[in-house]
Amino acid sequence: MTETSPSQQMFEIWKRQLEEGAKSWAQLMTKGATPAPPDPAGFWWKPMFEQGLAQWARIFAQTPVTPELTSQWKQFLDQSIEAWSKALSQAMSTESFAQMMGKTLDQWLVSQAPAKRLADQSVEAALQAFNLPSRTQVAGVAKQIIELEERLDRLEDTMAAMGRRLEEALRPPSAGGSAR
Amino acid sequence: MAQERFADVVERFTRGDLNGATSVASEVVKQWQDEFDRNVKRVRNLTDMVLNPTNPKVGQTPREEVYKRNKSRLYRYASRRSHRTPLLFVPNLGISRPYIFDLLPGGSFIEHMTREGFDFFLLDWGVFGPEDNDLSVEECVSKILPRMARKVLEVSGASELSVLGYCMGAPISASFVATHPEYPVRNFINMAGPIDFARVGIFGLWLDKRFFNVDRFVDTLGTVPADMVKAGFKLLKPTMDLSTHLNLWWNLWNDKYVEGFNALNRWANEYVAFPGEFFRQWVRDFYQDNKLYRGELVCGGRPVRLSNIACPVFVVGAKEDYIAPPDCVRALIDVVGSHDKQYVELPGGHISLIAGRGAAIHCWPQVSGWLAPRS
Repeated sequence: MTETSPSQQMFEIWKRQLEEGAKSWAQLMTKGATPAPPDPAGFWWKPMFEQGLAQWARIFAQTPVTPELTSQWKQFLDQSIEAWSKALSQAMSTESFAQMMGKTLDQWLVSQAPAKRLADQSVEAALQAFNLPSRTQVAGVAKQIIELEERLDRLEDTMAAMGRRLEEALRPPSAGGSAR
Repeated sequence: MAQERFADVVERFTRGDLNGATSVASEVVKQWQDEFDRNVKRVRNLTDMVLNPTNPKVGQTPREEVYKRNKSRLYRYASRRSHRTPLLFVPNLGISRPYIFDLLPGGSFIEHMTREGFDFFLLDWGVFGPEDNDLSVEECVSKILPRMARKVLEVSGASELSVLGYCMGAPISASFVATHPEYPVRNFINMAGPIDFARVGIFGLWLDKRFFNVDRFVDTLGTVPADMVKAGFKLLKPTMDLSTHLNLWWNLWNDKYVEGFNALNRWANEYVAFPGEFFRQWVRDFYQDNKLYRGELVCGGRPVRLSNIACPVFVVGAKEDYIAPPDCVRALIDVVGSHDKQYVELPGGHISLIAGRGAAIHCWPQVSGWLAPRS
């Protein structure tokens, strides 16, 4: 396939301009200065970006310009998001990530605990001064109600069991098997 | 035949030379017109969503509350009840609200089951507050579930019941079934419920005792806040929101899609706090020590031995489930003492297994089909 569409040609021009621009900018930045440390992201970002663009250009070149192009653009975005998702998933499935997350959470909790305790005590004291119920007190009342409910349930169960025993005791003895 | 370039089509069209290209040009024009119409609808629906946000109606299958205990509610759904054995559905405790199982008419697992003639009972664990911090897994297994099972039998007048556990509800209800042989459980179904936590995937790694100090976590926070639960689940799939919104824009012209999105979006952002002690026991005994699968779990003084489950068992795993991977779910088949047991692996993720268009095609008929002759 030697013939390229106008859009493909335009894309090639734009891509070349982008590369040359990036090269010139990089030269400008490093001119006379100490060589910049190798950018690890450059090993990953640039090839990934180029691959994505190349794929999009291939799709673009293979089809005429119709609204289906928007479907193809959506497909490209879906695939990019999927690629990102896979990469992030791989990174987060490592022990080092889990360790880092655990440490961060631990540090936050260690710093949070005294601050939370202090805040709770201050709020408790302030509410007491205004003669208003605190969350702890309301929760305490709620717990009592829960316990009362539990006792009522147990009472209900006992009465139901007594009722069943009474029924069985009052039932006239039958010749056949007893139905449950 | 080489594909015609757009430039050529435009040139011929403007020249008035339509010979042989009429159908191509008019087809392209029609496609652009359709696309334009869709964009107009997109803008209209987006404006509507932003300026007139509505709270979508969810959970519309008729039901009545037959029992309540603290925050838990037992609901019985209207059904022609052609099957003798009632079904108790035990969903996850905390995390999210259970109306996902009854999201919209035509897209509801509960609606499907009631239409199939099952006497359907849903246990809604409720929304927890600081007064519930002492609620433990043990209490759920040894007090709440037995009471709910008793109520199901009382209200339905049946002599046996089936139990269906989804997600976290599955290991909890399996523990109940295994430790309470006095309760006549006729069938047990596990849908996307993790059993072998050694194969639970990324959550298992993050909650590993080497990296996650659950005692410090619970002692500091008390109740695990809903926002933290949300953050944990969002972190599993950081790009989910991006793809959701992209798909929303793409389908924004479709009123039905927008209706479904609004309902699902409401559920996806409504997280529920975890009671502190429940979270501690759940993480330590299940995720970190894998006591359930190893047979080391004790609830209410009774050892939990999954081999004590002898009733027919049906296990459903989801192929793309990253919360309860298929291997982790299927492990129940290996440890139960049942003769009649079956495992199926269906397309979908953790939620789409039971909710959504795909679920209506792949999952629900299989569950009702398996349960019906055994009820």
